[in-house]
Amino acid sequence: MAGKRPALPLVLSASDLLDGDVVFHTGAGWDRSLSAALVATDEAGAQRLEAALAEVESGGPVAEPFLFTVTLDPSGAAVPNHYRERIRVCGPTVRHDFGPQAREELSHVSL
Amino acid sequence: MYRYDEFDERLVRERIAQFREMVRRRIDGSLTEEEFTLLRQMNGLYLQLHAYMLRVAIPYGTLSGRQMRQLALIADRYDRGYGHFTTRQNIQYNWPRLRDVPDMLELLADVEMQCIQTSGNCIRNVTADHFAGVAADEIEDPRPTAELIRQWSTLHPEFSFLPRKFKIAVTGSAVDRAAVAVHDIGLRIVADAKGRIGYRVTVGGGLGRTPMIGKPVREFLPREELLPYLEAILRVYNLEGRRDNKYKARVKILVHELGTEAFVARVEEEYARIDRGAVEVDAAEVARIAAYFAPPAFEALPARSEAFEKAARDPDFARFARTNLFPHKAPGYTALTVSLKPIGAPPGDATSDQMRVLADLAERFSADELRVTHVQNIVLPHVRLDDVPEVWAALVEAGLATANSGLVTDIISCPGMDYCKLATARSIPIAQEISRRFADPERERAIGPLGIKISGCINACGHHHVGAIGILGLDKAGVENYQITLGGEPGDLASLGERLGPGIDADEVPAAIERIVDVYLALRTDEAETFIDTVRRVGLDPFKPALQPQEPVRAAA
Repeated sequence: MAGKRPALPLVLSASDLLDGDVVFHTGAGWDRSLSAALVATDEAGAQRLEAALAEVESGGPVAEPFLFTVTLDPSGAAVPNHYRERIRVCGPTVRHDFGPQAREELSHVSL
Repeated sequence: MYRYDEFDERLVRERIAQFREMVRRRIDGSLTEEEFTLLRQMNGLYLQLHAYMLRVAIPYGTLSGRQMRQLALIADRYDRGYGHFTTRQNIQYNWPRLRDVPDMLELLADVEMQCIQTSGNCIRNVTADHFAGVAADEIEDPRPTAELIRQWSTLHPEFSFLPRKFKIAVTGSAVDRAAVAVHDIGLRIVADAKGRIGYRVTVGGGLGRTPMIGKPVREFLPREELLPYLEAILRVYNLEGRRDNKYKARVKILVHELGTEAFVARVEEEYARIDRGAVEVDAAEVARIAAYFAPPAFEALPARSEAFEKAARDPDFARFARTNLFPHKAPGYTALTVSLKPIGAPPGDATSDQMRVLADLAERFSADELRVTHVQNIVLPHVRLDDVPEVWAALVEAGLATANSGLVTDIISCPGMDYCKLATARSIPIAQEISRRFADPERERAIGPLGIKISGCINACGHHHVGAIGILGLDKAGVENYQITLGGEPGDLASLGERLGPGIDADEVPAAIERIVDVYLALRTDEAETFIDTVRRVGLDPFKPALQPQEPVRAAA
């Protein structure tokens, strides 16, 4: 992966190859729900995510993988630090009927 | 309208078959993502923030009712029931699935449409004045020229891997509505003293992170020399344009670094070497293409319409007629702008139902023609004044009758971070909030013509540099921040906006825009002095305090 690794804790995300949906690495595979994501909180976890990223960088079931920094809320759920990733995990802020937010499972993430 | 011949049809179908195979090979793992990205881009397919995005070419923004209906069908069958019309006179679908895209392309090909060269480092969709064939001041319809360039540039082997994308715009009118000065090549159709038709050619205009106004390279290029001369320009650019830095790869940088004089000398040198006969198109072929754009058979009508004047007693109709009609060269006709900027809605979006309404109206009332404007609206170009009341009633019914063409709520906005992977901030919510602030139609009328243009990153898809008020969204230490520019203009007196001051937060933008407009209203000499005229007369200084948060000058609308 090019560039510097973002700060911990980290989540690995990508776009599903077939439908373009935002997906997250679970440790064992890919899932559309951020709550299923493996959150790396230490060096070992980060390296694990980096290895998963390297594996799919040129091909595989997802496209354009990248790591981003999250904060764990009091319940332990991951919330992206940057507004770009918060928008990305929710869907367009101008169309609440589209994207993951339409599945109503992201009540802990807001702008 | 242009109709595909057997070569066009075969080329498009073969291309789809090739793309279908590429998709299959990407899915089965034979192609890497890097290999596939280049291939999908050349077929108009992007991977965006939440999903794939398919950009469909609408050459020079002209389409028929049948084509618009097909766009609606595709939106329903393969997307989410809507489409987004863009500043490039194209339409984008925001939610296609990879596996479906070849089928979407087949549906497009059924109505002579495609996505070739809507992305990638090649010559993109050629844009033109949306009032082509309508405007009384038109020297010649620009679309036959645009179509000729489309045919010449499609899959051009020499120019398929340029240093960067390349955009050409054509206008045939004395008044430039195609923003030719901010395109890589701008063509203005002109007549010389003997009445011969040719082109004034500018090169090196563009927006993005280094905005520039195009430099004139030929004041009069005879019509028949167009393609060889374009070939000379493109060849110089292709060979000498920078490939070491994508941010310095557009032709504007080459023109800037070489200097206009040296660039022109290089082009003329190349032009002298070109085998013109091999590139020039014979007059018969030019005439064949031009015939497709022959004006419809206009009826001989009186210049005034009783039905229209009777309807104008309704103040809502009168307001619409005042703002959204454009004078037609044929007496008794008008070009009608359908605003895709309802108050508070995302600019440029239309639902599939609305697309079908527009298709019906085009077929019944506008010689089966529609235009997509770079301002992200739709034009019905040939409507009888007698029919305007009926068209208006249908538009009201469909939520398409907003009377704001050219006014403060007719905002250009890129998709911004709500959809775009490259964005640094959101654009659409800013447009929506400004639109709501100026919702009062009487206030909007009093303000007069004012172009607000919003981009969600430095790439400037929302044309903010040429907005009378430009808004650029940036990421300032993890917070959306917006820079305001004043004094931009895309047309004949093309100019780039200047920054008013430091960037401000998203929630401060609408109030700041309102204060800027209030400063204008206080300073203008009279109602005839437009916003841009006032900015040019008084400069930026009187507007600078408007950026500071303060008690609103007027009560919120």
